[in-house]
Amino acid sequence: MRIPGSNRSLLWSCCAASVLSLALFAASCSPDHSDSVATRPAGKDSVSAAEVTLVTYDAFAVPKEAAAEFKKLTGASIKVVATGDTGTMLTKALLSAGAPEGDVIFGIDNTLATRAVSENLLAPFQPVGLAKIPRSLRLAGKAGELLVPIDTGDVCINIDQEWFAGKGIEAPTRMNQLTDPAYRDLLVIESPVTSSPGLAFLIGTIARQGERGWQEYWQQLKDNGVRVRPSWDDAYYSDYTVSGGDRPLVLSYASSPPAEVVFSEGKRTQPASTVLLDSCVAQVEYAGILDGAREPELAQKLVEFMLSPAWQKALPLSNYVFPVIDVPLPEVFQKFASRAKDPLTLDPDLISAQRDVWIEQWREKME
Amino acid sequence: MRSLTEQGRGVRLGAEPPVRTRRRASPLGVFVVGAVFVMIALPIAAVLLRAVQPDGVWGTEAVTRILGSPRTWRLIAVTVAQALASCTLTIAVGVPVAWVFSRFRFPARSFFRALATVPFVLPSVVIGAAFASLLGPQGLVDARGTWWAILVAQLCFNLAVVVRTVGAALSGLDPSQEAAARMLGDSPFQAARRVVLPAVLPAISAAAVVVFLFCFTSFGVIVMLGGGSVTTVEVEIWTRATRQFDISGAAVLCAIQLVAVLATLSIHARISRKRSTSFSVTLQRTDRMPRTLWEWSAVGAAVTVVIIVCGLPIAALFERSLEVNGGIGFEHWQRLGSAAEGTGLSIDPLSAMLNSLLIATAASVAAVFLGVASARVIAHRPGGSADRILLLPVGVSATTLGLGFLLLAGRPPFDLRGSLWLVPVAQALVAIPLVVRSVLPALQSLPPSLDEAGQLLGVTAQGRFWRIELPAIRPAVIAGAGLAFVACLGEFGATVFLVRAARPTAPVAIERLLSRPGGAGFGQAMALSCILVLFCATVLLLVDWFAAGDQGLDLSF
Repeated sequence: MRIPGSNRSLLWSCCAASVLSLALFAASCSPDHSDSVATRPAGKDSVSAAEVTLVTYDAFAVPKEAAAEFKKLTGASIKVVATGDTGTMLTKALLSAGAPEGDVIFGIDNTLATRAVSENLLAPFQPVGLAKIPRSLRLAGKAGELLVPIDTGDVCINIDQEWFAGKGIEAPTRMNQLTDPAYRDLLVIESPVTSSPGLAFLIGTIARQGERGWQEYWQQLKDNGVRVRPSWDDAYYSDYTVSGGDRPLVLSYASSPPAEVVFSEGKRTQPASTVLLDSCVAQVEYAGILDGAREPELAQKLVEFMLSPAWQKALPLSNYVFPVIDVPLPEVFQKFASRAKDPLTLDPDLISAQRDVWIEQWREKME
Repeated sequence: MRSLTEQGRGVRLGAEPPVRTRRRASPLGVFVVGAVFVMIALPIAAVLLRAVQPDGVWGTEAVTRILGSPRTWRLIAVTVAQALASCTLTIAVGVPVAWVFSRFRFPARSFFRALATVPFVLPSVVIGAAFASLLGPQGLVDARGTWWAILVAQLCFNLAVVVRTVGAALSGLDPSQEAAARMLGDSPFQAARRVVLPAVLPAISAAAVVVFLFCFTSFGVIVMLGGGSVTTVEVEIWTRATRQFDISGAAVLCAIQLVAVLATLSIHARISRKRSTSFSVTLQRTDRMPRTLWEWSAVGAAVTVVIIVCGLPIAALFERSLEVNGGIGFEHWQRLGSAAEGTGLSIDPLSAMLNSLLIATAASVAAVFLGVASARVIAHRPGGSADRILLLPVGVSATTLGLGFLLLAGRPPFDLRGSLWLVPVAQALVAIPLVVRSVLPALQSLPPSLDEAGQLLGVTAQGRFWRIELPAIRPAVIAGAGLAFVACLGEFGATVFLVRAARPTAPVAIERLLSRPGGAGFGQAMALSCILVLFCATVLLLVDWFAAGDQGLDLSF
């Protein structure tokens, strides 16, 4: 048996440890609590330490100069919280609807827009600059009151032309050729479950092949050795031959070829890739104000600022997308970004009604 | 576990095997067990309710959709198959290793035994990261999405369970029985098959069931190594809930998994009962130096297996964290304090680590208090249902708990989703069973005469706890606390549902950093993983130092 003294010391050390840990924990919590209470009145005086939180997907990069201009204009800095790929970001936001992780959400696209609208995720807002945006990009009905178009881009199959030239194989020129045995084991795409280009491409195949024929087309893609990766990063950086992988056909964007030139930092004057124009699917990305936002006024200012020329002009080179208002494009875009004249698209109502069924059917077939 | 600990304590206290009596538990203890029970039951109930109320009203839509899909059944078959395969592989490798470790004394044996144990206390995400660094896009071969990569990673993770459980049974075995069989003309092989194997078979099957359960609900390893194409029920729950926004579908899968887990747990309970009655143990040393060349080569083989399966991935982790543009340097470690752009992580890795430490401390302190209080109630009423209820979180998958908590937290009257307490509470719940399992055998082996002596001397019930009971079970409490802390530090499955993106824990940060192969986060993820390895290994060593006996930390089941 031990002497009583050591029992006491055990007791005291237990208590001390718990008190200490609780104190540490409370200390680490307090800043969060304090700013939740303190910064609510957004008067002119308290603006200096203000911050507006932008919830977005991983790949989004804030245009730095534009963000600095926003700070000059409003006194608030933009804090970015990335929560995953577009699908993941939206689901996380939906699961925390009402207790949001930020003020503005950006990156919901036209394939997922109705999912965002069906739950009470967003607060209605009509920004000042809305009239400058082409009507074709705006959403109809309730969705249009909640989501503001910020940029557009086309999701297209990219072709590594240098790889095909090196092998002496003719590169595909039509989407239907992707099921051709000549292109066996050459294509890598993203999963429509997790990735927004993946879902856009699935919708594109349904638009092209029809609701009857799309499953057959996917069966042929599967038989022809298509590889499915969970995210765009995975497919583009690990598997695409231009990044050192083993697949010369990748599901990416119409803006990826100019991006190649920019990222090569002078090594490339010409992109290795071209896009398979016939596979392009129109994608529009929207921003909205999260219901329950801590800084609703700053959130509105940020969404309006995202439509300003400063932000819109910066978008092509920060995120490789096209602006929604009429601003000049950077030279590399004018030279190398080709846009499909008539990209694949589906009726938003049809997408809304069928999307989850299609994803389920796709998983049934492909996984 | 029970037999080993009882034997140890029995010797220390110099008493005959204790007689268990039903005594009245203190009201406070009963309240604690009740509260813990509610905390476990509520999230599970929330998940099950969501399965049958997909849109807030009763409906069978989700159930028929999930059960009617052939893919679900394929998924269940694949999950069971991979768990069986992992389990078979782990037993096939682990039992010979356990045999060598318990039969032979050789240089650095305790080091290699510790090496075989370390992966078990590492976060599954770190194991995944270690194997991803070997078998990922930046590794030797890109084997993500292949089953063999996952099987090897799970072997690494679970080897400790077999080595410890079967090793404890083997070293408790009376060698004279084997010698007698040899004298009667059996070959060594025959003696092993006819004497040793039957005696340790219950331990092997108990270990097999536990490994099966761990692999069945394995999450972190498959998320990290599955490459998106390999999924199991557990990963599918996560995919549906967090990717597809199909909460009710995920809930149905949770229910299916719960049934499978409960069935496995009841098999385990049956085996454990049989094991504790059919044991003949010895306290003599049963190990010796290897004599023949054959015996030395067996030792060599076992050591090689441990080095390759457990040592190599951890070494790779450190090597990768130091690799800078083909050379060696501390750049990744130096950059841990700053958030790298384009990594999908909104805070720097060091802050995530600090977050983890704070949360794990709070959670494990709570788990120790609640766990010890619960264990006392169970010890007073052996065989009660509290026993099984408290062990439930071991089997109930972490994603189920996480999803349940999330559904619960968003419900009126309180919205706790933004609360900082959500993650520690969930982690404490995951850790309580570890404390109970560690403390319970020590409590049960206390001879009642000690308590009676205290009563005779007029010590109050409180005084008897602090001055008699607690000092006697102190090593077990420390071991439980250590296990609880590393479990909380590495918790991923539940945390990933509950954590806010602006405040990730270290395992979540590692997963986020590694999910973007093009990003600059790879080196940071490796360095952060190394820090977690160092923390967990230190805790393991401290526990070993303060609390454990001959066998090292008791991890057997």
